Amino acid sequence: MKNIEFTSTTTERIYNDYLKRVEKCIAILSKEDKKEMLMEINSHIFEGIQRFSDNNETDNLLTVLEKLGMPEEFLKPVIANKKIAQAVSTFNPKDVLQALLLNFKNGIIYSVFALLYLLLFVFLFFIVTKLIFPSKTGLFYLDEKFKAFGFIKNTDGMNDILGFWFIPLVILSAIIFYLLITLLLRFTKKQ
Amino acid sequence: MNNLFVHKWTAQVKKGVLSFIVLNILQGNEYYGYELIEEVKKNTEIEIAEGTLYPLLIRLKKEGLVTSKWVEQESGIPRKYYSISEDGETTLQKMKKYWINMNSSIQKLL
Repeated sequence: MKNIEFTSTTTERIYNDYLKRVEKCIAILSKEDKKEMLMEINSHIFEGIQRFSDNNETDNLLTVLEKLGMPEEFLKPVIANKKIAQAVSTFNPKDVLQALLLNFKNGIIYSVFALLYLLLFVFLFFIVTKLIFPSKTGLFYLDEKFKAFGFIKNTDGMNDILGFWFIPLVILSAIIFYLLITLLLRFTKKQ
Repeated sequence: MNNLFVHKWTAQVKKGVLSFIVLNILQGNEYYGYELIEEVKKNTEIEIAEGTLYPLLIRLKKEGLVTSKWVEQESGIPRKYYSISEDGETTLQKMKKYWINMNSSIQKLL
């Protein structure tokens, strides 16, 4: 990308600083998309400056940048979309969490997903409680009828039918649950 | 008067109609980003952070409603020209129809 040339170093610094902020905001995008975005912003700045008839380049640049807005703000939608796309293709929990946080404001559907993921973490929490309080965590039956699943305070008379098989079972269910909600997220995204 | 409510409401309305405005402006014309923003400002009273238009253009492109191409310039800094696609044209016609209907219904209420 060809940079815009300025006569004063101060103006050049303001310009470089702004482009750096843009670059930082869009770091998550693909190389190609990053280049497109930077070229687009660069072109906008250049065209904006051309509209002025006087030679006060610092003032003119500052006016153009002010009107363009803060990249951290106006680029948000691009990043949020990209995060979702990335999350559903990588299945990486960190990406998924970031995507949900970024899209939280975009609607109720994402809060539902956030809840589902929270539920998933509760599942994993049961593994820890099973190790610390083995007799209080499990799949409990009372008189051959399902009574409770998870971490229970009062297990009087109840029968934990899984024993330590509880742990592999919870891990397996968590994996299936995780794959399911991520696929569901991918499906929602395509709608 | 609840100023905050009015402010939030106008922001939502602006956000909602911006894509409709952009498609209308692109109908029959080709513009590069900065020029397109100038047109939006000239034709409407919408005051927006100019940058917000770029994510919108990316979305319209992804939806297949607009196309874009880079055109080299003597300055060495190319311009990205946007134009409406065929699909964009038909979509815009539907949007216009909806807009006219809604407008007349609202007019009756006022």
